[in-house]
Formats: sequence, structure tokens, C-alpha cells
Amino acid sequence: MAAIATLAHVTYTYPGASKPALDDVSLAIDPAEVILVLGGSGSGKSTLLRAINGLVPHFHGGTFAGRVTVDEFDTRTARPAELAARVGLVFQDPESQAVMTTVEREIAFGLENRGIASPAIARLVEEALISLGLSGLRRAPLSTLSGGELQKVALAAVIATQPHLLLLDEPTSQLDPVSSEELLAAVRRLSEDTGATIVLAEHRVERCLHLATRVLFMEGGAIVVDADPQAFARWALAGHRELLPPVARLFARRLNGGAKAAAEAGRLPLTVKDARGMLDDVAGQLESFASPAPAREGDVVLEARKLAVGYAPGEAVLEHIDLRLRRGERIALMGENGAGKSTLVRHFNGLARPLAGDVRLLGRPLKELSVAQAARDCALLGQNPNDYFIKDTVAEEVDYSLVQMGFAGRERNELCSRTIVDLDLMDLLMRNPRDLSGGERTRVALAAVTCGDPALVILDEPTRGMDPLHKAELAALLRRWAANGRCVLVVTHDVEFAARVAGRVLVVGDGSLLADGPVHEVLNGSLFFSTQINRLLRHSLPGVLTEDEVTWGTSLQ
Amino acid sequence: MTVVAEQPAAAPGRVRATGAATRRARGPRRHGLARTRPVASLAYVIALALAGFVLNDPLQLIALLAVLFVALGFAGKLRASLPYLRVALYVAGFLAILNPLFSQGGLDVLWQVHLPLLQIRVTIQGIAFGVSTALRLSAVLIAFALYNLVLDPDDQLGIMSRFSFRSGLVVSLATRLVPVLSRDAESIADAQRSRGVELDRGRRRDRAAARIPLLSALLTQSLERAMDIAASMEARGYGRGGRTRWQPERRWRFADGATAAAAGLAVAALIGGLVAGAFHYRFYPLLDDPWAPLADPWWLLALAALATPLCVEARWRR
Repeated sequence: MAAIATLAHVTYTYPGASKPALDDVSLAIDPAEVILVLGGSGSGKSTLLRAINGLVPHFHGGTFAGRVTVDEFDTRTARPAELAARVGLVFQDPESQAVMTTVEREIAFGLENRGIASPAIARLVEEALISLGLSGLRRAPLSTLSGGELQKVALAAVIATQPHLLLLDEPTSQLDPVSSEELLAAVRRLSEDTGATIVLAEHRVERCLHLATRVLFMEGGAIVVDADPQAFARWALAGHRELLPPVARLFARRLNGGAKAAAEAGRLPLTVKDARGMLDDVAGQLESFASPAPAREGDVVLEARKLAVGYAPGEAVLEHIDLRLRRGERIALMGENGAGKSTLVRHFNGLARPLAGDVRLLGRPLKELSVAQAARDCALLGQNPNDYFIKDTVAEEVDYSLVQMGFAGRERNELCSRTIVDLDLMDLLMRNPRDLSGGERTRVALAAVTCGDPALVILDEPTRGMDPLHKAELAALLRRWAANGRCVLVVTHDVEFAARVAGRVLVVGDGSLLADGPVHEVLNGSLFFSTQINRLLRHSLPGVLTEDEVTWGTSLQ
Repeated sequence: MTVVAEQPAAAPGRVRATGAATRRARGPRRHGLARTRPVASLAYVIALALAGFVLNDPLQLIALLAVLFVALGFAGKLRASLPYLRVALYVAGFLAILNPLFSQGGLDVLWQVHLPLLQIRVTIQGIAFGVSTALRLSAVLIAFALYNLVLDPDDQLGIMSRFSFRSGLVVSLATRLVPVLSRDAESIADAQRSRGVELDRGRRRDRAAARIPLLSALLTQSLERAMDIAASMEARGYGRGGRTRWQPERRWRFADGATAAAAGLAVAALIGGLVAGAFHYRFYPLLDDPWAPLADPWWLLALAALATPLCVEARWRR
């Protein structure tokens, strides 16, 4: 079968960069394949996709060597606009790819560019709307859509042009679990019904591995592994277990011999469904050692009483919120997109003022403090690390925060040094924050808000677009901070991350606080807001959330 | 675990979400000009703005303002027009107050004072001219507000692309950029406050100075966003040549035809009246009778034409 796209010895360096983003990459993509591209931040996943549709090098410039062909087109001579009929690309950020202002016109944009006649555009727009369940939103302004809906519109706009090859660059990174499932279901339907060739770059393996017919793993701009999902899983067992879905990690622990044992034992489960089938034979050998919920006994850091939050009187987003956050607690705040999570935490450092009720920070009414005054005791890291960067180097950013918070002399120097060590910034001190990778930027922004040693640290969606390794590092850091007496509150859609980090979970929705309890109780048994392991073991070992809380019977180990 | 809300989590939320989804499905509910076809709406807004430029008589201008407010009300945009109205009020108020102080014409003197270098002479004619100018300016500004509020950027692009798609796209993207920039600026300011930067203390000059470093972050972010949109456009075939234009199929309704025809008739009547000298109202040295122009046939024809779409809408609502 002729390949739909090929890359031959492609090496590409962005303008001004010292290292290539793609390093001698060769690849052939066959029709109807679904290829999952994995790799850490800055490993070259996005650049690979942009090379396939010609944005690299035509749009980005830089130095390009090798050859990419899509159908009969060589991307060195064919511009992305010419390839658009064959290759469709859905970007990571749904907001930054919209051109028009309403759903149907956004979908029509690519078709108009291709010069398709008006009656045919009407039909193709209609089909795209129906295929993604967007018919009801056809005339809706994009500004009124949720992130999930926007990303579906972006996908609809691309599939309306009926490309031979569909490229998806971390399309679920900004979405809640429900929206992610919906989007990936649409991708799966597309693959199964039309035989579309799909290349999907993602960090959250547990969401996508089951869709893939082939997996690539990239590191330093090169393709390190190119295998089918089972072969990839066996490779990952040997030294990259964080890349495996939790159910695969659970069964891998049964095979102490690692990759070799796995190869001998046969398949590893990659989905809950696979694992459930394999579990029937061995369920009795599993034992849980999930730790009981710790008692809440630290000093109260923040107290909210009868809090109502929103943007206008009479239009509260959340009401009747009563909360006490204590030192040493690790808390996850969850809920669907638009439920009011970010709005709520903006009331914890004074960025927003309550419609009713009050908030006390370390016993002081927050309304008596400015946000800047509250910053010493409550650090809030927003969703976009770039919002914090106004200096030329990382060192200046940290120092600037300390000066603004009113620290001086020896205390300022000590806090600066401690923050640099704590967040492992020593090698980055003289770098411009905007030149860093996503994970590094998050660390620098975190340093900018936490350098004053606050009692309460709030992070709003810190794992968006973060690879598994950086996620694990962040989880360890947050645990350490809590152990040292800080209260850590994480707003997140990432259930697996919440299960690893949090001891207590708050769920908001329907205008109020729906649940507040230990992580093992709140995340147990939920349909979407639960972990893979919980979905697998909810009947045999209720309450278990992660594979680390399960042990296999000693006879098998 | 503390179950804070006893009711099933999804049920009431779903009811609320469905309501919101339905509202968005239809887009914001549209009335009046906002549901008229863009070309007809644009023609009508042009006719209203032309009337603002052409008319002089304060009573005619008050009637025109009444038409504009009813049009805004029927389109459901009265509340949204408040920022525009505020600007109109400031500017018009400034003109209405200033003109009588500096205009020396008119015979009916109300008050005068002689200063060493300046003679102030307030006349009824000066006040009337100031009020008339303020009313004209308000009418034009409100017509502009109506244009902005009733025609969404895609509609504007649709109309402009008949002449130049590129120019239309630039206008459309720029229109979208303003709220995005404002949101980015707010987000950056919040991030800086969260790290201890005082942006809201001190005098206005201090607050402005504290915000200057934020501009570089805003500029960088705007450039990055612009690059992302440009990449998205190129990846979706923009610039390939041979572009077609698609207008979502909207049946021409009676109201669309009536609005377009009425706008055409109003423009003809206004130009006709202008050529015939029907709209020449004299303020100096003595005021003309302000009631007389109300009976002028050109004016009556223009007013009838401008009121027609509103009558059609009122009847449709019934």
C-alpha cells in the first residue's frame, strides 16, 4: 500500500535555535493508520505535525533538510495552503485557531479558501455539524462556546474539508474529562467510519492509546520508538513506565521481569476494557492498601463562610460555599468546564470580591487586604504562565516578586535562594523565561508567586499540556510543600493527577459545592471523574484509585 | 465524605445547561435589525447616519434620535449601547455648553460679560446651534453604535468581501482582537497583582506608571496570538487563490425587503431634500421657526421611510 505521507531524513531547526527540533526523522504513514505521537515537552511532536502540513518550514522559517511528501506533493515546493485539501491540522489551543466569529462560518472558512462552490459548502458544513453533534450550535458566536465545544468546532472545520490526513496536536489538553471523551469519540468515529488517517500528538496516554494502531515516541527531536501499541507498551516497561496507562502499569507490576517477562507473558492491557477481561482470572490475587483519610487538624489557613461568587448580583456562579482549608492539606478542586472553579479561587486571594459572604486568610478578612498584600500568604498561579513574565531573566523574575512583596536584605536573599533550589531553577537563572519549555515556564511562574513562602498555594490547571514526567515532578513538589506545612489547592480536570496528589477533593457544579471529602470517597465510583484503576476495580476493591495502592498476592510476585 | 448537596448532581444542572445551550444554538436571540439580512441592515444604518449629517433643525434631529432609540430597542441592544451613549452624552454635552460661550452670533442676547481679552456673549441662537450640533453628533454616534451592535464581524466581513476580502478580513480580525486584548490585559494584571505588584494604589499617574511594564507582556502575547491565527489560516488554505464566498442561506423575508427598500427611499429623500434646500435651517441672526421644517414633504418622506422597518417589526411582534 502506498504511503499517504513520508518523511525522509528530515532535520529542522527553528530560527535562532541552537538545537534541531527534528533530528533526522524518517517515517512513512500508511492510509487508515491512527498514529499516536508521544514524547515530553519540546520533544518535537508539534514540529513533526507542522512539518507534515508544510508550516515547517514555510511559515516558521528556519533551516530544513530532508524531504516530506504528502501524496504527490513535496512540502519544499508546495505551501501549506496548497496542502490544506489533503492535510488538516487541529491545534492545541482552540481559541487561537478560530478566524471567524460564528460556528457555521468558521467551518466554512477552509472550504471557501479551497474555492468550493457555495451549494457544496452548505452541504459540507451541514455534514460536519451533524457528524460532531454541533447542529444546535450552528449560529452560535464562538465567544459563547466552552473549550470543548470550541475544539469540536475546530475539528469540524478541518474534517469538513475532507483531508486525507488529519493531524491533531494535543487536542484535549485544555478540556475536562467529559469534553475530552466526546472529542476523542468523534475522532474514533471518524477513523472507523471513514478510514481517515490520523496522527495524534498527546500527553495523556490513558485517553488515547486504545485508539492507536501505531505509537511513536519522540525524544530530542528524534523518533526513538515506532511500534504497535503492544510492542510500545513492552518497550515502555523497561524504563518509561510513566508512559503507560495506569491499568498497564498495574499488570506490569505483576511481571517483575519487566519487558522480557511481559514479552513472555503476552499482552498487557491498555484499556480498562482489556484489563477487565484479564482481571477475571486474577482478581482474587489483588489486595488494597489504600491509606485512610488523614484527620483534618492543621491550623486553618483560609476560611470561606456563606460565600457567593459571580460577576453580577443575582447571577451567582456558586453560592453557599462554606470551606476551611488547613495547613498540610492537599486539595483538588474539580468540576466541569464553566462550573466556576477558577472564579472561586480568585476569591481566595482577593482578585475577585464576593457577591455575598466573606473570606478570611490566616484569620484576617480578605476584604481588608489588597491582592498584593494577600500575595505573601496566598500564592495563586493562573492558567497561563506567560502572564507573569515581564523581566528578561528568570533570576530577575524571582527577585522582582520578592521586592514587590516587601522583602529586603538578608531575608530576600534567603527566600530567593530557597525558591531557586526548591524549584530546581539553578540552570535557568540567566535564561529568558519566554524561551523556556512549557514545564520550565510553569516552574518559573510558580517561583514568582511562591517565593514569599506563602501558607496557601493555589494552582489553576497546572498540568495543561504537561508531559507525564513533569507531572510526576510537580506532584512530588506539591506533596513536599504540604508535608512542610503549606496548604496546597489544585484546580484540575486531570483525575489521575488529582488522585496522586490530593488527600481531599472538592467538586463544584450546579451552582454549589457538590462534594467535599477524602479523595478515596469522592473519586470512587464516578463515571468520568474517576481514575482508570478505580473504574477497573470499583467492585472488587472499592475506593482504590491508583495502582500504587494495590498489591498483587505474594505467590505471584 | 461530606455530601454538600443532596440532590443528584446532574439533574438541575442539565436543565440549566439545556436552556443555555438552546439560547446559544440560535445564537443570541435576534430581534429587529439584528435579525434582518446584513445588507438590508447596513443600508438602513447608512440612511440613519446620512440623516444625522443632513438634518439641522433641532426638532427633526430629536425625531431622528427617537427613531434610532426605537431601532436599538427593537434590536434588543439598548443596554449594550450604554457605553456608546455615554460617549455621545459627554461629547454632545461638551459641544452644547461650549458653543454658546464662543459663538458670537445671534441677536437675542441672554447674558454677556466683558473680560480683558475676551467677550462672552450668550445668545438664544448660539444655544440652539450648540444643541443642534450636539444632537447631530449624537445621532451619528448612535447610528455607528447600531452598526456595531447589530452587524456581527462575520456579517461585516461578508459585505466587505464583495469588494475586498482581505480588507474585510483585517477589519473582522481587528474587531475580534479588541475584546481578546482586553481579556489578556486583565489576565496579565491579575497575574502581577498575585505576585505582589500594587497596580491599584496611589494617584492615577502612579497607577499608570505601575502598568507600563505590563505592556511588553501584552505585546508579546498579542504577537504570539497573531502568529497562531496566521498559522491556522495558512494551514486551512488561506492565500491559495480562487477563494469562493459562502453566505449561510437565509430566506429574504418581507421585513428584509421592506428595510432595504425603506433605506433606499430614505437616502433618496434625504439627498433630494438636500439638493432642494429643504433641510437648510438658519440659526443666525434669528432662529427660523423650528416647527416649519416638520411639515416639509422631503422630511416627511424620509421620516416615513426610516420609520417603516420599525412599523414592520412592531407589527411582526404583535
